[in-house]
Amino acid sequence: MNTAITRRATRGMRREWRLHVLAIFSLSVSFVCLAMALLVVTNIHALSERWQTTSQLTAYLKEGAPTDQVTELREALKKVAGVTSVEYVSSTEAHAEFSSKEAKAQDDARNELLALPVEAFPASLEIRLDADITRESLTGLVRQLGQFPVVLEVETYERWTERLAALVSKGVLASGFFSVIVLLSVLAIVGSTIRLVLHRRKNEVEVLRLIGATDSFVKGPFLLEGGAQGAFSAALAIVIVGAIYLLARTRLHETIAPFFGIDIAFLPWPAVILIVVFGGIMGTVAANLGLRKLVTV
Amino acid sequence: MRAKSGESALQSDERGFRPLLRKGHRFARDAADRPILMFEEVYKSYRAGAPVLRGMDLVIERGEFVYITGASGAGKSTLLRLLYRAETVDEGRILFMGRDIARLTDTSVPFLRRNIGTVFQQFKLVETWSVYENVAIALEVLGLPQRLIRSRVGEALERVGLAGRGECLARVLSGGEQQRVAIARAIVGEPALLLADEPTGNLDPQLALDILGLFEEINESGTTVLFATHDRSLLDVRTRRVIVLDEGKALDVPLGPPSEGELLELPH
Repeated sequence: MNTAITRRATRGMRREWRLHVLAIFSLSVSFVCLAMALLVVTNIHALSERWQTTSQLTAYLKEGAPTDQVTELREALKKVAGVTSVEYVSSTEAHAEFSSKEAKAQDDARNELLALPVEAFPASLEIRLDADITRESLTGLVRQLGQFPVVLEVETYERWTERLAALVSKGVLASGFFSVIVLLSVLAIVGSTIRLVLHRRKNEVEVLRLIGATDSFVKGPFLLEGGAQGAFSAALAIVIVGAIYLLARTRLHETIAPFFGIDIAFLPWPAVILIVVFGGIMGTVAANLGLRKLVTV
Repeated sequence: MRAKSGESALQSDERGFRPLLRKGHRFARDAADRPILMFEEVYKSYRAGAPVLRGMDLVIERGEFVYITGASGAGKSTLLRLLYRAETVDEGRILFMGRDIARLTDTSVPFLRRNIGTVFQQFKLVETWSVYENVAIALEVLGLPQRLIRSRVGEALERVGLAGRGECLARVLSGGEQQRVAIARAIVGEPALLLADEPTGNLDPQLALDILGLFEEINESGTTVLFATHDRSLLDVRTRRVIVLDEGKALDVPLGPPSEGELLELPH
């Protein structure tokens, strides 16, 4: 890059630092919204992926189901293609597992859940499947299981996966919406900042025109300043969201993580870099639009 | 003699002046033999029915020092603005070393301006920049290396009597010094043509004479100078070719300023 252009850009930013800082703070608010939306989407997506790869069925059994029929069903299931293991979980075991998971919880609602009787937890068969089992085979298996008189209900977790997929798509939509908001904010804020800077440096532009500077030489520093504004705003937003994440992480891990079976993760590095690059590009584009009425001599 | 540099980026060589051209454009050898400027039937008006220049013809040879004078509104500044393509002619042609300025594309205009130094009454410096930065920028647009820029700026500041003042901010200088900085900026790229639009208008008479002397020195080094002024006292300092702009035409007085009586007798 032309050193004269970078020098003029850094000199310009130093001279107008208050204006640039103000613009960066204003822009970072929009970028925080975008980064937060992406953070939520990332985690819902991870959850959806986790549940999609959980090749498991749970066949809840009717209360008082005869043991020999349950054993017979269990043996029959083991012979079905695609079934890797079948495990019987009694009401007592289900209650005990739930109690152990929720033992650390302090709030009243959970204490009430723990007080539920053993009968509230039906016995079940936990059926593990091949990861590559087809949807058709799974549907057939569920249909056949439902026909057994001892089976109360079959849980495929498919509903949850579908709900999560719907949530992910809504999250992506929200992120798209926030991206548009960010785009408009960048265009408005960087554009007006650069116009103001241009007005203040009108004399400089006029001099440059007189001495034979090309368009790119004249515009270069302003584009760099706009790009830097966008990139710095995005980086600041990442720092803010990161700080919020660090502060809330322990609480999230205690509450949400055990419930959904995943760790709440921060934005992956590629996404972070992408947001900053997006900010830089948007800033440059906005600056370029702001320079349409560049002084001509 | 014009200062020569070993670097090829600037335009002096043994055969004489070579203009700075865009990449891919060739320098016509015979351009060096042509007059540096030719105005052919140039018309320019800002308002309908009130032309500033009406079919002006004028030839200026390489290395001349020419005063452009005339009453306020006679078209002195317009003439100079046409030369550095801040304006375009309505009719006619202005040939700068054989090339029609009006036919240059917008992207070629900067390359024209790199061959023309300009000095104005209002100095047109960036006041928040140092003296050095104000002069160096004329070479930075050419993409020259910093080492060469430093030495060329040093030479230019020395020529205008501002050696050692490079670090000063332009705004702290006096009017005369600011004009010297503007002149240094105009000549640092060794342009073929130097345009001065009322450069002494904001200066007291003694400073005006000093600045005029500076332009004469620059002219002696081979640069063609067009010096627009309405100050008759400057015209009387030395016998020079004077172009009087009157009623949109150029009246050529090769041997110095005309007396008011002579001016009345000149054919309109």
